Amino acid sequence: MGVNPLDIIREYLPFFASGTLFTVGFSLAGIVFGTLLGLLVCFGKMINNKALSWPFICYITFFRGTPLYVQILIIHFGVVPAVFGQSNGILAGALALSLNEAAYIAEVFRAGIQSIDEGQTEAARSLGMSKLQAMRYIVLPQAVRRVLPPMGNEFISLIKDSSLIAAIAAPELTYWAQAMGAQYAIVWTPYLTISFIYLILTLTMSFLVNRLERRMATK
Amino acid sequence: MIKKLSVLSLLLAFVLIFTACSSGSGSGSSSKKAATKKVLRVVNDATYPPFESLDKGKMVGFDVDIMKALSKASGYKYKLVNVGWDPVFAELKSKTADMSISAISITADRAKTYDFSKPYFLSTNKILVAKSSTIKSAADLKGKTIAVQQGTTGQAAVEKIVGKNNPKVKKFKTINLAIMEMLNKGADAVVADNTVIEQYARNNPSKNLKVVEDKDAFEPEFYGIMYPKDSKLKPVFDKAIKKLYSDGTYVKIYKKWFKVAPDLDTLKAQQ
Repeated sequence: MGVNPLDIIREYLPFFASGTLFTVGFSLAGIVFGTLLGLLVCFGKMINNKALSWPFICYITFFRGTPLYVQILIIHFGVVPAVFGQSNGILAGALALSLNEAAYIAEVFRAGIQSIDEGQTEAARSLGMSKLQAMRYIVLPQAVRRVLPPMGNEFISLIKDSSLIAAIAAPELTYWAQAMGAQYAIVWTPYLTISFIYLILTLTMSFLVNRLERRMATK
Repeated sequence: MIKKLSVLSLLLAFVLIFTACSSGSGSGSSSKKAATKKVLRVVNDATYPPFESLDKGKMVGFDVDIMKALSKASGYKYKLVNVGWDPVFAELKSKTADMSISAISITADRAKTYDFSKPYFLSTNKILVAKSSTIKSAADLKGKTIAVQQGTTGQAAVEKIVGKNNPKVKKFKTINLAIMEMLNKGADAVVADNTVIEQYARNNPSKNLKVVEDKDAFEPEFYGIMYPKDSKLKPVFDKAIKKLYSDGTYVKIYKKWFKVAPDLDTLKAQQ
């Protein structure tokens, strides 16, 4: 077929541009809400009371133990219509990513917090700090530094995982690549183009995390 | 060590079971003289009832039966493989499959890249909406959110009316997801081949759906078997299709799946 790849890319450029914005938006939503919710779930799981920590353990088990793709379908065709009365791909996509991310972030945070030596808390407590103060001023600052690298990994996979949202016709990058591929019956041009865009996004993310790590490093 | 071995053997057993399952299903019938001919790889997207869908893991549908009959008439053995809609096109383009029978409409665009058989089915795009909907014609679709299956002529027909890549056209991988989107009020209408949405509306009376026809906006379409460009199989199966028309097999299969008689004259006029 005499279709010039550059012509098709130029034709789809506005869609790839808006698709990139959606991908970035989905990823940001997942990162922000996922981290906040993840922190909450993490503390919930660490409660020293089986009845209270049980729901949080269930949450992590479900969202880590089932495929994100399936979660997206359940949330888009089940949860969102049941709650809001109509489906909304963008809302469902952001929701699914955030809920899924929270489960992983919770585990990363728990590992970080539990890696801080028990003696630190004991020392803080003996200086008269409350449990909460010890957590806030002694343990958490050290834990955050330790969890930065694994968090960066999570964020990078989150950007890539957002491509699954194409399944519910949310207009992000992969969705437009599939539209382009279907229209011209081609494979290489759409998918290599978005691979390149995803690479830029993930590299930017790892650059940002690296800088943050360096800034927070102790000399 | 023993524990490791048992885990390994368990894994191996799984792999064996899976490969056995996948090679066991989907192979078709054959006749004796076909012994020397190669087994054709026939691909489809089995998410499109009543043409091809999975019923408890078994592929069933109008196209599936037609393929069986064509194989009998032509003497070719075949293996029907469900690969998904986009991969159907990718496989034929790269010639990793020999042909596809998957409710594919013959279009000038597709004919540039692929070869088509003589038509074996007549179809029109129609609009599926809620009974209470105000949509009465294709022109009413303007400004509405419309769900379609990606890469289908339904999508093309809609985009001709509302503009290409209009953000209000939601493209889904399968027709079922598109219909579900409408049932969840994420879209106002679904545009797809009449047989598919008519059957859906008929089989799901509780959903309160109706089918809107617009003969002026949506032209009749013909389905064809699709081959890679310059396929040698085309004349063989064109002859087989003709045979199904003349010996009554086609009418029998058509009535089995659509409960009405086919418009054989229009189809024969296309031969």
